[in-house]
Order: sequence, then C-alpha cells, then structure tokens
Amino acid sequence: MVGVILNQVRKNYGNMEVLHGIDLEIKSGEFIAFVGPSGCGKSTLLRSIAGLEDISSGELYIDDQFMNYVPPSRRGIAMVFQSYALYPHMTVFENMAFGMRIAKINKTEINRRVRQAADILQLTDYLSRYPKALSGGQRQRVAIGRAIVRDPKVFLFDEPLSNLDAALRVATRIEIAKLKQSMPDTTMIYVTHDQVEAMTLADRIVVLRGGHIEQIGTPLDLYRRPANLFVARFIGSPAMNIVPGTVETGGEGMTVRLASGQSIEIAARLEALPKDAPVQLGVRPEDLVLVKDPGLFTGRIALIEQLGEVQMVYVEVDGIETPIIAKLPGTEILHVGETIALGTDPQRIHLFDSEGQSLR
Amino acid sequence: MSTIVTPMAHPPLRNPWVMLGKGFLMALLVSAGVLVLYPLIWMALGGFKSNSQIFSDPFALPNRWSFDNYVAAWNLGVRNFLFSSLLVTVVSTITTVFISAWTAYGLTRTKMFGKPVIVGFVLGGMMLSPTVALVPLVQMMQSLGLYNTHWALIILYTAFRVPFTTFLIRAYMLDLPRDLDEAAMIDGASEGQIFRKVMLPLCRSIIVSCIILHILFAWNEYLFAMIFTNQIDVQTLPVGLTSLMAKHGTNYAEVFAAMTISALPIVIIFFFTQRYFIRGLTEGIGK
Repeated sequence: MVGVILNQVRKNYGNMEVLHGIDLEIKSGEFIAFVGPSGCGKSTLLRSIAGLEDISSGELYIDDQFMNYVPPSRRGIAMVFQSYALYPHMTVFENMAFGMRIAKINKTEINRRVRQAADILQLTDYLSRYPKALSGGQRQRVAIGRAIVRDPKVFLFDEPLSNLDAALRVATRIEIAKLKQSMPDTTMIYVTHDQVEAMTLADRIVVLRGGHIEQIGTPLDLYRRPANLFVARFIGSPAMNIVPGTVETGGEGMTVRLASGQSIEIAARLEALPKDAPVQLGVRPEDLVLVKDPGLFTGRIALIEQLGEVQMVYVEVDGIETPIIAKLPGTEILHVGETIALGTDPQRIHLFDSEGQSLR
Repeated sequence: MSTIVTPMAHPPLRNPWVMLGKGFLMALLVSAGVLVLYPLIWMALGGFKSNSQIFSDPFALPNRWSFDNYVAAWNLGVRNFLFSSLLVTVVSTITTVFISAWTAYGLTRTKMFGKPVIVGFVLGGMMLSPTVALVPLVQMMQSLGLYNTHWALIILYTAFRVPFTTFLIRAYMLDLPRDLDEAAMIDGASEGQIFRKVMLPLCRSIIVSCIILHILFAWNEYLFAMIFTNQIDVQTLPVGLTSLMAKHGTNYAEVFAAMTISALPIVIIFFFTQRYFIRGLTEGIGK
C-alpha cells in the first residue's frame, strides 16, 4: 500500500524554482529521511507535503487521495517543528488538546488521548505546566505528543533534534526510533541535515541537492553504492577520499592511473571509457589499512586525530591536493611526519566518471 | 540533578560615597515625585476650599472638608461630560484596538498583492495632521448627519488612531514566530481561530499598552471635541471644563473640583495597569 506519492512536484518562488520535479513513492508505514545540505529544498518539500506551501505544479497523493488543494488540517498529517512551536500561553495539556478542541471532540475523549500520549512520552507529571517551565527535551516531547494525539497517517518531522544538545539529541533520537516501532502503520518523514540521524532512523533515505533527488535508497545502499560523487561525499563520516585519475587500460581487469602516479587495477566494467578518460576514484577512510608495500597511497602523516578506539590519520600524498584521510585502529603507534603506505581491498574502491556518476 | 552551591552573598559595603550617592538619588526621585504630584494634590484640595480661600490663602489646607463644590460641579454638567467622555473613550478604544489588531494580523500573516504599498498606506495615516483635515471632516460629518453627536468623535478617534495602534501591534506580531500559526493551521484552526486563540493571547501586553494609550488620547483630546460638538449633553470633559470656566470664571473651587473628577479615572486606570503598559511598550519596540 502506498502512503505518499509525489509526481513531478515543482515549487517556484516567483521566477526561482526550488523543487525541480520531484518523483517519490513512500510506502505506508515507512520511515523516510530527507537529507541534504542547507538550501537543498528538503524543508520546502516537507512543507509542501504538509500543505504549508502550495505546490506550483505536479501532484501529491496521501493515502491515494489527491491532496494538492486540501488544507493542512485535513491531510491526515501531524508535524513536529524545529522550534517545537508550542503555544506559550497554554499548558502542556492544552497544547496537546488544542487541535481536538478545535475539532470539537468531546472532553472525555480528549482527556483519554492526551493522557495516553503523555504516558508514552513520560509527560504525565508536567501536564499542568507551561512550556517555559520545561527543558528543551521535554518541550520536544510535548511537540511530539501534540502530533501523536492527532493520530496521523503521516508524521512529519522538520529537523526536530537540531535545537537539542548532543546528549539529549542521542536520547531523543532513540525515543523517536521507539515511537516508530510503537506506530508501525504510521508513515514518517524526517528532515535532517545530520546523516547520522538519517542513517540510524530511516528505512530509506532521500538525498537532495539543489531541488533534485540525487539518490533514494536504504542507508546501507547509499553507503555501499552511492550513485554519484555528491552522495558518496555526503554519506559517511569522515567523508570519502576522492582522488582524480585517468583510465590506463580499458576492458576486463582495467587499470586506473592516479594523480599521484600510482596505478591500480580495478574489478570494474570500464569498457565504455576510452583510454586516458578522466575518472574520480573514491575510497572510504574506514576501508584504508596500513600496508608494507607502496599500496594505493604513500605519503607523510600531516595530522593525527586520536579518538581512542580509532584515529583519523591525514596523509599528504605527492600529486594529490587534499590530504587522504584514513580511519585506523587507535592501537597503531603512528607519529606526525612519518611516511606510511595505505592500501585497500580493490572491491571497496568506488569509481566515478568525469560527470560524477558512479561507474559501479 | 546536580546541586549548585552558591556562596553566601556578602552584605553590601557601607562605603560613605555609595551611601551619599544613594541619598542624592533618593532625594532626586522624591523631588521629581513631588513636582509631578503636588499640582494635582493642590488642585484636589482646591476643590474643598471656598473661592475666597483659594485667593486669600492658596497653599493652606481647606478650612472645612466638604464635598459641596464637587456636588455643584457634578450638577453643573460634569455628569454629562463624564458620561460623554466615558462613552466616546470606551467605544473608540474597542473599535480602534480591534481594527488595528486585525489589520496588523493581516499585514503580518497573509500573502497579498502589493503588501508593502498597503503597509505604507495604513501606516502613512500617522503623518496626516488632524488640523489639515478639519474643514473637509466638518463638511463630511455634517452631510452624514453626524455633526454634534458622539459618533462623530468615536469615528474620528478611531480613524486617526488606527495607523499608530496598527504600527505598534504589527511591530510586535512581526517578532512572533510563524511556526505557531503553522502549528495551529495543522491543528485545524481557521484564520479567525488562529487570530483569537493564538495571536491575541500572545499579543496581550502590547494590546494592553495600546488600550491605555488610546484611553489617554481619547480622554484628553480637545481639538476634535471642540469642533465637532457644541451641546452640553454631547461635549466631552476637556471641552466641557473650559465652558465651565467661561461661565463661572470666578468660582475656581468648582472648576478645581470638576478637574479633579475628570482626572481621577485616568489616574486609577494607569495605577492598575502601569506594569503591563511599560512592559508592552518596551517589548514591542525595544527589540
């Protein structure tokens, strides 16, 4: 069953188009994350689904119903805002009950639903407090509670954790994951610029850039098979090392010559590319290991970030502009200035053409 | 929960210069207070004296405490003036603040074509001088049959105060986060409900300020009241008081009593609402 369908959705502000024909099918009960850098249109897309922004062209269906012109309150959605957007002059109870009071639901039912949500979110003791007397985490839970009592078909989150401190962010992230488990039939759409939130929470991730969808896939799909350089760089931390190179010999078992002069044999199908075609080679920092022989990269250590369990080693390689980052075990004894060689499993190498599209 | 240990506050040092400075400050504030209050008290006391005592012994306490002058002033027309003032002030306050709040809501929260022009048009009303508009206004009120009625004043006070009141409320609403309206919209609230149940309560302090400002204006307004009313049962206090003076130029005791009666409501209102009044203004404009 389909939860939300977007068909060629476009959004213009005057002459400026910020969403360029978004096509997306979200299954009922799925947890989808929209990620991308600021200004990529992820919030606009969410707000268009919510009905807070008009769609300039294209079609939006929620639960198989055409929704373009339906007001937000009748789309069967609930939204959690980044700023929480709690009504400051109402108590926690009144905040959660507001929508139901507007809808003229009877008092016992309002009471029952609010208490149930408060119970799930551990807010029962705070029902008579005003938002200003709550901590950031509690306010966020009230905002989630206000969404739960609406019993929505689609739950929308607009960067809900970005106003919380680091520890609370992890705790609330876990709460949201639990909430999803307790509401298996509710579709959730979650906007974030934090790839960790997207990777840990979402069933599928939609990566956006400049109003286009770059890739849709499960977190592991995006990590293992990024469709292009942008996604490759965006998913994973630290970001993937990207090194320019040229095709040396095409066909089966072809080799690529890196900017550093090193050649590497890659098990990829490169027949489409002629000799000397420019390519970009990508290796994740966690896929690099220390090797004895020249390996893939040989260079001088410029900086070490020791995190205990692992260390981030920045290696300067002749001919390559940006330092190569390797995530090595924290137990390796290394020093700045030392020359090391890094190698990797050829299967783990990503290759992109000159346009940035993945070749494997 | 962690416990925060705060060190005991030290008692303030009894530095003689600090004491002296505080003493001076106190003296300054007391003098300022006396400067403002004394004329008012003098006026109120004057209402208890006889006309001859006012001139023979202006700074003494009254010889006897009697409300005769107050009763006389009340019966001389102050009763009518007070009623007119109350009516005009209350009605024009309600219309002004209601229209201004709705306008401010529209100007801050809706999409409309050419909004900057409309904002300029509404707020530009502040530039309009009442004196310049007098002649056409008199003609207009006469042709509408509203000349020499309470309605003339109510309409004019509303029209001339809506721009400024809108300006204050709009500035305040611009600072309120849009997320709240959007949350209410998702909760199913109509525009009217968002205005009534979300925006108005949040604007309470600026609205109270606007109400007080308007009351002060309407209660003391003289020009329009003088031009547009000419009968005792329509005139408001400022105009009525001057007519009292003209007719009974010699009896200052009654005039003082009448003035005291007219000042009393404003003093009482300001006394009870000054906290809101100051907060609303500083919150609205200061940010």
